[in-house]
Parts: sequence; C-alpha cells; structure tokens
Amino acid sequence: MTAHDWWIIAPELAAAGLAALLVIADLALRNKRILAELAVIGLAAPLFFSLNLWFGWYGDTTDPSALFGAITADRFALFFHFLLIGVSAAVILASTKYLERMPGLRGEFLALMLFSMSGMMMLVSAKELVAIYVSLELTALPVAALAAFHRGARSVEAGLKFLVLSAIASALLLYGMVYIYGFTGSTNLEIILQRLNEIPSQPDQPFGSYGVLLGVVLIVAGFAFKMAVVPWQMWVPDVYEGSPTPLAAFLSVASKAAAFAVIIRVLYAAFGSEPLTQDWSGLIAALAAVTMTVGNLLALSQKNIKRLLGYSTVSQAGYMLAGVAAVSANSGSAGFIAGPQGVLYYLMGYAFTNLAVFLSVIAITHRTGNELISGLNGMGRRSPVVAMLLTVGLLSLLGVPPTVGFMSKAFVFSAAVNSGLIWLAVIGVVNTAVSAYYYLRIVRAMYFEEPSSDEPIRADLRALAATGTAAAGVAVFGIGPWFLLKLAEESLTIL
Amino acid sequence: MLEDYFRQYGLLFLFAVIAVTVPVGMLALSYAASFVRIRPTRQTPVKRTAYEGGMPPFSPKPSRFNFRYYYYALLFVVFDVETVFLYPWAVRYGLLSKQFGIFALAAVMLFLAVVTLAYAYAWRKKALEWT
Amino acid sequence: MTLENVLLLSAALFSIGIYGVMSRRSIITTLMSIELMFNAVVVAAIAFSRFTLPASLANVESPVQAAAVRLALTGHVFAVFIIAVAAAEVALGLAIVFALYRVRETTEITDAATMKN
Repeated sequence: MTAHDWWIIAPELAAAGLAALLVIADLALRNKRILAELAVIGLAAPLFFSLNLWFGWYGDTTDPSALFGAITADRFALFFHFLLIGVSAAVILASTKYLERMPGLRGEFLALMLFSMSGMMMLVSAKELVAIYVSLELTALPVAALAAFHRGARSVEAGLKFLVLSAIASALLLYGMVYIYGFTGSTNLEIILQRLNEIPSQPDQPFGSYGVLLGVVLIVAGFAFKMAVVPWQMWVPDVYEGSPTPLAAFLSVASKAAAFAVIIRVLYAAFGSEPLTQDWSGLIAALAAVTMTVGNLLALSQKNIKRLLGYSTVSQAGYMLAGVAAVSANSGSAGFIAGPQGVLYYLMGYAFTNLAVFLSVIAITHRTGNELISGLNGMGRRSPVVAMLLTVGLLSLLGVPPTVGFMSKAFVFSAAVNSGLIWLAVIGVVNTAVSAYYYLRIVRAMYFEEPSSDEPIRADLRALAATGTAAAGVAVFGIGPWFLLKLAEESLTIL
Repeated sequence: MLEDYFRQYGLLFLFAVIAVTVPVGMLALSYAASFVRIRPTRQTPVKRTAYEGGMPPFSPKPSRFNFRYYYYALLFVVFDVETVFLYPWAVRYGLLSKQFGIFALAAVMLFLAVVTLAYAYAWRKKALEWT
Repeated sequence: MTLENVLLLSAALFSIGIYGVMSRRSIITTLMSIELMFNAVVVAAIAFSRFTLPASLANVESPVQAAAVRLALTGHVFAVFIIAVAAAEVALGLAIVFALYRVRETTEITDAATMKN
C-alpha cells in the first residue's frame, strides 16, 4: 500500500467516508434538514478524486491498478464513476421533499443510498473476483434495507423479495466464480484470460471445457439478477411498486449501469479471446432476445405506473444486452468495441432518460398519491412543465428521433447487425414498435384524458431542476451524440 | 510391531482414563469437601430452581421470548463474524508488518473504526436497551 | 479424498440448498437454505485451494516454490469473505423478517405475497 494506491482508491473511499459521515451527522446534528444538502455537496469529493484520476492533476496516476491488481481506476471505471455520482446527486435532490415525510429516518436513507453507491463504484473498478463479489454485496444489501424502508406490508415484502432473490443470485454467481478460480488458479481477470489461453481446450466442448462453461453460465446468471434480465425479471415490478420511489429511480439507473459495467468487464477482460467470445456471445444474444420480448409483453397490461416502468426497464436491459452480445472481431481490431461502445452510450443516455421519467413521476405521484396510470389523466393541464419533461423521457425510452434513446438503439442494433446477429436486431425493432403502445398510453392519458380535478400541481424547485437537467440531457445528447460517443470510445481503450 | 500398536492405542487408553477420572474425581472431591465444611449443604428455594442464574422463571409454561433478544442476536451475528478477519491478521502480524510496515496496523484499525461506528450507531439508536 | 469427491459434496449441498429455497414456505428455512448454498461454495473454494495448482506451475521442481503457490491461498480468502458477507446477509434477512412479523403476524412466504401482476 503506497501513496499511489491511496490515490487510485480515493473515489471509493471518499464515497464510503461520505456515507459514514452522514451516519455520524445524523447522530450528532439536531437540524436534519441539511442532511440532503450535505450529501449532495459531499458528492463533490468522490467526483473530484475521479476527475483527478481522469486528468492526472495530483499524485502518480500513470499506472491505474492498485491493491495488487484488485482495483483499477482506468477510463472505463471512471466513466461509470461519473455516471453513478451524477445519478446519485440527481436522485437525492429530487427526493428531498419525499424524505420530509419520514423525518426520523432521513440520515439512514441517504447513508444507505451512498453506501450502495460506493459499492457500485467499487464494482465498476474491481478487476478481481473476490473484490467483485464483495462490492456486489455492498450494493445489494443497502438496497434491500431501503426497499423495506416504510415498514408497511408492501415495503417489507419488496425488501424481502429483493433480499432473498439477490442472495440466491449471489450464491449462483459465487459458485461460478469458484469454478473459474478452480480451473484457472487465479481470481484476477487478466490472469484468468492468460490461463484460459494456455490451457489446452477440448474443441468439442463449449468454452474449452465443461468446467469453464459452468462457471461462465453461473456468473452470467448471477449478474443477470442485478441487470434485471429474464429470468430474474420478477423482482423488478414488485420492488419498484413496494419501495420508496426515489429508490426505484436509483435502482433502475445506477444499479443497472454498475451491473452492465461489471459484466462487460468480466466477459471482455477474462473471456475476451477469440473462440470464447463466440461461445458467450450466443448465450447473451439469446438472453437479450428473451428479455426484451418478455419485458415488453408484460408491460402491456400494467395499470400501475411504477410496475409499468419496472417492466419497461426490463425490456431496456434486453436492448442493452444486444450490444454486449455484439462482439464481432478479434480483440484489438476496430470492430471489437463497437458493441460495448454502444452499450456505454446507451447506459449514459438511459440514465438521463430514466431519471427524467422517474423524477417526474415522483414529482406528480408525491402530490396526488395515486400511482395508477389513470392518476396522470390531464396532467398536461394541471402540471404542464412536469408533463412535458415526462413526455420527453417517454419518447426517448420509446426511441423517437431526435432523442438520445433513438441514437442509442441505433448504435446498439447496428453493432448487432455488424457482428452477424441480424435476427437479434430484427427482434429488437419489432419490440420497439410494440413498446410504443404502452409508452404512448401514458402520454395520451396526460394530454387527452379528462382530469379528476383541475387543481394545479406545483413541483418542488430542486426536484424540477434535477428533472429538467435530465430531460435536457436527453435532447442535447440525442441531437449531438459525438461527445458521449467519444467519451465511451476513450473509456474502452482497455479492451 | 506390537510395540507400535500399544504406543498408539495406549495413548487412547490413557485418554479414556483421564476422561473418566476427571468428572468422577470432581464429583468425589465435591462430596469429600462437604465433610470438611468447605461445601455448605444448606438448601434454599433458589437452589432448587432449574437455573440458578439468569432471569427467574415466572411462568410454568414455555412462554415467548422477549422480542429484544432478537436484536441482541442480530448484533451478535454481525459483530461475531468480524473476528474472522482479525484472526488471520493477528496470527501473521509479524510477517505483515515486515512487508507493509505501519500500514498493516493502520488497515485493521480502520476496519475496527468502522465496526465501532456501527456499534456506536446501534447504541445511540437504543438497540441495546432492554425496555 | 480427492478433489472430485469434495466437489461432489459441494454440488450436493448446493442442490439441497436450491431445493430448500424452492420448496419451503417458511422464510427462516429459506434463509437457512441460502446459507447452505453459500457454505457449499465455501467447501468448493477450499477444495480448489487445497487440491489444485495453476496449470502453468503444476510441474514446479522446487518444493519451496510449490509451497509458496499453495500459500497463495486465494480460496481461503474467498471463503473468509463469503462467510462474513453471508452473516451480514442473514442478519439483514432476519431484520426484515421481524419487520414482516410486526405488520403481518406471519413468517410464511406465501402469506407475505400481496402484489400481483
């Protein structure tokens, strides 16, 4: 452990330290109103340390790997650090009004969310299986506690479902990791890749041997829970419906982004050599096709807006998986990163989009207390600004040009076509057409249905600022995607 | 050959002898002590209860435990397992301090600080109070 | 005792755990079954750590180097972390079960489920 190691892990340490500081402040301070502001301002610390690693202002940061190769601060990790910090700040800003309803527990809510965020930051930086597992649990356990936060019947049920399913998923993940460790003798992703190339492989067995096959399938199955991919889609709507809405926003964006980051890193770093990529590419492509279809079909019949958005995030995860599966050429060649680049762009755009949608839903349902789609009737008149922001978000989720959602789908599907997965792209386009039904149903309810009352709904200013920023991002990065694309490309230099 | 046999099983025999002697001897010693008034034999109601220590039994039926027990159990489960990290560190501290210097100590102190923070939190939130 | 035997034991434990998770209605039993799955993983990790060497180092001549490789002990580290995290997981699970018992007076999974599609 040298000074260099401290600089590398500084963002994660700062995030965890901020969470611990909030716990202490919650115990010590009488005025709990400032806790949310403290959290948002405090997020500047991990942001600063991440920016420092990106630009190399202070300290020796030329070698991004630290702690014996367990943690790295490469561009890929830093890209997700920025995303996670931004999402957390937006969710905290938008939930200050929401938190006032539970005065005694404000500190815990913020601290648990930040602990989960520090786990996610660890997860995207981890380059070693034990570190990945531990940070995965650090992201999951606070979320389970947060889901059960209201202590009502539904909230507790949501927490219980999340915890039990997450435990089963991590047991599967662990079993897979241990098999990979057993077959390669190492838990470091790069050494695993080396060893897999050295070990003579049986050509008749997928992945060179059935042991590695078992390991990879179980690892993918474990991460599939966090990505909310079929067959783990069942927890999503229940947890979104039962848990506090800010948590649902946090889960749907941050947790999903971290899970995609880690699965891209594991698949491309540890199993990224030529015969192996074809083996897992087929597996992921099948998973993607099933996920987008199932998510869409289940979303069609939903009446509760949070459940509908839950299934919508499932189908979005399916589209993103199509990008992960689109691995076409050898590592090092130009086409190799097209798929992951699309996914990174998709994740960034999806963060803006889904935040715009969820935060506007929070702003409305917090006032009306009605979470049914019919509760949004006539919002175009009652709350024109929020309704407009929500519409922008929904159009981007659907993928209407010129929003960021359209561009991300275009990149991901074209990457799939280029790597020979034309059938997958066709399924994706068909699914997009189907999803128009339920996304536009919400828009129709807001503008063409009669409201139950004409009383205008005024949103909290901070929440409006966060939602507006997200919606602006949807428009700006949809019209001019170059900045994000460049960022994503630069982040993928590790592959 | 036979000698080996007896050396191995002789140890086992010795073990059996000790295993029998210790409890029997302790009972015998206790009985012997009652003659020289080291062990008083006054009977009191407390002595006749099933458990001399702990809470006095207040109802004949097996009744529900106080809910608070579970909080103790929870805290115990978490704090108990933290030891698993300390034990290997303590055993190999000499080696670690040679390689990492003061950091071998600092890392564990940081870990303990986090655990202590959790403990203080539980304390302040009155999870340790009985009522 | 060979590696295969221990891995079979681990697989059997893991399967029993999965069966328990799927078949039991009591949440406490579900948590116990999950714990069984974690312990199966611990058994496998220790077995791999004990029985295998990295393929590239398997024919090392000097016993010192072989011993050093064994002392890499990654599997043991894995096991220690799994034990600690599993304890935290179970503690949180029990806490949520208490909360459930307070609102619903039950610890059965089927009684807890209210949300439907």
